[in-house]
Amino acid sequence: MATDTRSGDIESFGTVSKTVGTVFRYVLLAATLFGIVVLGALLVYVANDAIQPLTADPGWHLTFLLTLVLPTLGVGAYLYRRDTDALRFGATTVGMTVVTLMFAGGVGMIFVDILSPFVFLAYAVALALPFALVLALQRRARRIPFFTRAGATTLAFYVSLLGVPGPVGAVAGLPTIVPGVPALIQSLPTVPLGWMSLTATLGLGVAALVGVYAARVRDRRAGLFAGVGALAAIGAAGAVGPAFGVTSVPAVVLASVAVVPTATYAAGTAVSRPERRIGLLVPAVVIGGALVGEVAVGALGFAGPQSWVDWQFLTSAHSRTAVDAGLYPAIGGSILLMVTVALLSFPLGVGAAVYLEEYAPDNRFTRIIDVNISNLAGVPSVVYGLLGLGVFVTYLGRSTGTVLIGGATLALLILPIVIISSREAIRSVPNEMRQASYGMGATKWQTVRRVVLPRAFPGILTGTILALGRAIGETAPLIMIGAPSVLFSLPTGFTSKVSAMPLQVFAWSSLFASEDFYTKAVPAGVVVLVSVLLAMNSIAIVLRNRYQSEQ
Amino acid sequence: MTDGHGQADDGIEPDGGEATTEDPSTEMAIQTDVSESVNDSDYTREAGTLVEARDVSVYYNDDRALNDITMDIPENRVTAMIGPSGCGKSTFLRCINRMNDMIDAARVEGDLLLRGKNVYDDDVDPVALRRRVGMVFQKPNPFPKSIYDNVAYGLEIQGADGDYDEIVEESLKRAALWDEVKDQLDESGLDLSGGQQQRLCIARAIAPDPEVILMDEPASALDPVATSKIEDLIDDLAEEYTVVIVTHNMQQAARISDKTAVFLTGGELVEFDDTDKIFENPDSERVEDYITGKFG
Repeated sequence: MATDTRSGDIESFGTVSKTVGTVFRYVLLAATLFGIVVLGALLVYVANDAIQPLTADPGWHLTFLLTLVLPTLGVGAYLYRRDTDALRFGATTVGMTVVTLMFAGGVGMIFVDILSPFVFLAYAVALALPFALVLALQRRARRIPFFTRAGATTLAFYVSLLGVPGPVGAVAGLPTIVPGVPALIQSLPTVPLGWMSLTATLGLGVAALVGVYAARVRDRRAGLFAGVGALAAIGAAGAVGPAFGVTSVPAVVLASVAVVPTATYAAGTAVSRPERRIGLLVPAVVIGGALVGEVAVGALGFAGPQSWVDWQFLTSAHSRTAVDAGLYPAIGGSILLMVTVALLSFPLGVGAAVYLEEYAPDNRFTRIIDVNISNLAGVPSVVYGLLGLGVFVTYLGRSTGTVLIGGATLALLILPIVIISSREAIRSVPNEMRQASYGMGATKWQTVRRVVLPRAFPGILTGTILALGRAIGETAPLIMIGAPSVLFSLPTGFTSKVSAMPLQVFAWSSLFASEDFYTKAVPAGVVVLVSVLLAMNSIAIVLRNRYQSEQ
Repeated sequence: MTDGHGQADDGIEPDGGEATTEDPSTEMAIQTDVSESVNDSDYTREAGTLVEARDVSVYYNDDRALNDITMDIPENRVTAMIGPSGCGKSTFLRCINRMNDMIDAARVEGDLLLRGKNVYDDDVDPVALRRRVGMVFQKPNPFPKSIYDNVAYGLEIQGADGDYDEIVEESLKRAALWDEVKDQLDESGLDLSGGQQQRLCIARAIAPDPEVILMDEPASALDPVATSKIEDLIDDLAEEYTVVIVTHNMQQAARISDKTAVFLTGGELVEFDDTDKIFENPDSERVEDYITGKFG
């Protein structure tokens, strides 16, 4: 009987209900979007308060709509349909311009107000000399015993930085026979100008990187030309900058941090991928449109928005009135804090991660450390502030609220995150790589240093930058260690008092709570803080994308 | 050959006697106290034997993976080890350069002599041993470095003397890869095709001029064309090197090897003889069944 019905043609397979699945799917989508939408709405609200786009003349909006927005959308749409790779290239160039400009601002701040370019040059030379010596030694003789090499290296750096006999001799009461290189350079009768020093240090470094990049894209000759050209451009910026109203030192910083790297990226990609050249239309339209629009509104007399985030806000200190208040010392403080945090947490965190992943035996002790690192990552930041206060101020007797203490406390705070993300990166190095290295007769150290770390490095860097992003927004630990909420000048060293952007914003919203402060200065501060955070994270994202595409 | 290649040979003299390693940095932990080692065991080494296994057993925790293996691997010949999956042939291969040390649960018993020196003696540093025993793995695993740096890796970690450019070129030529990559030595080894990658790994293994090259199914992840290139290469390598190769491809063993060892389930070496004999007229019925495809 059954065979009869089976042998016949099938008229319909029927349907299976998928209602529950569909509902489930959209509930999940809602859950995914909920946080982002809420946060996005808040940010739009804050940005509106900070920038106040509605205060501009309608003519201003119309001008920029015509010169900037519409052409950009047009080019974007055209490229989107024709060649998405080119569009991505163009958009990356624009993004890189914005981000590098922000970094140039930070670096410029350091060299204008914190660290004199000439002192920087003196120390750069003092470090470069022994480093070159060590490199030459290593190339000449591959088999110097470890302790001889370590001793010679240490001695070279000591003599170069501190002189003979240096602080050790000073303790013993010996007179200085030869001063260290920094002291020697700084005692020269004629000293180079600030922008020249900066060109010789920062500019040279950037030019060297440009040269290496160009050599990889093309060949050695191109690398040489590109490097020399970059150095010449940076030097020229310092020389002619004042003629265009930009002081020499900021001009050199602007050229070496923003203009040259962005131009190198754009030119390098245009050379190695000619088919993507058309993507350069995007930055051309954006930058050209912005310039044309600026000239046009100036000529037509349209007033722009009365934004709270303006040059004055970025370059002045706190003031009694919200209109005159600025974020400058707090931005500088945040930069110095981030440098300190990075210097402290990176070696410690990566070191711990390498130990736990590559060396630690699998025993109870390791497992206890394992669990506790995960727990530490979740400890509230105010507790870390208390820890910093207890250890550094009360126990070690340092003064409160300095860059060093703030940095050390924040470093402790993000250390577990750095360790966890570095371990993740190290674990993602395929085991075959280690096997291959051990099979060649490499020791564990050689394997870690030559195979595991180079491969894991982009991942480690990404994790560390994201962790730094967490640290830059922390307020509670800084309050606990007694950082001043209001500071009127930039910190000048590791032992000066420091404020930070979130702390300043917090102060505006609580201590100086007046209508003007918390409706205008606070949103402006938040916009700056979030922009810095996004700029930092964008580096992490670019690194991660490159890393993923290489695998 | 160059200095870098020369030095690997003078540490161990097959004729015995204390080798004088004048250069301490070659880290020659495998001393050549042949007379003593031979007296310890009751066996005498045939002329031209490079690796001697004497009752080698391997345990993973309490499971026996390899059962009293005794065999002599001849110098400058290709010795193949065949057998079904899980028969312990790879385990045995990894005993020769002590890669099994990496697995905590693994324990090796018996004597395994390389040029008369038991590699499991207390005074043998496995790292120094591996510098004299090259290894090529099943899956091509070049480092994410340039082609040049891949080949020079062994020289660099050993701090070998000599002209690296020359050794790299020589090794790539021997691995039949030079013509294909000579213009792109700065490019990443990972950009090569699978077969090229495996030949790069072979070049990397032979650059420090090892005593033996161990190959763990080197062609099993490759297509037939790449496989035949690797096979030709192994044939050429045997002129200067001793090659021990694990394969589960019986035709491959028959094509390229001089001697064949047949391992069967339970970690047992069932028969070890000239390849022709194994494939034409094996002594053991189990081997014949396996060769003819009745099981395994």
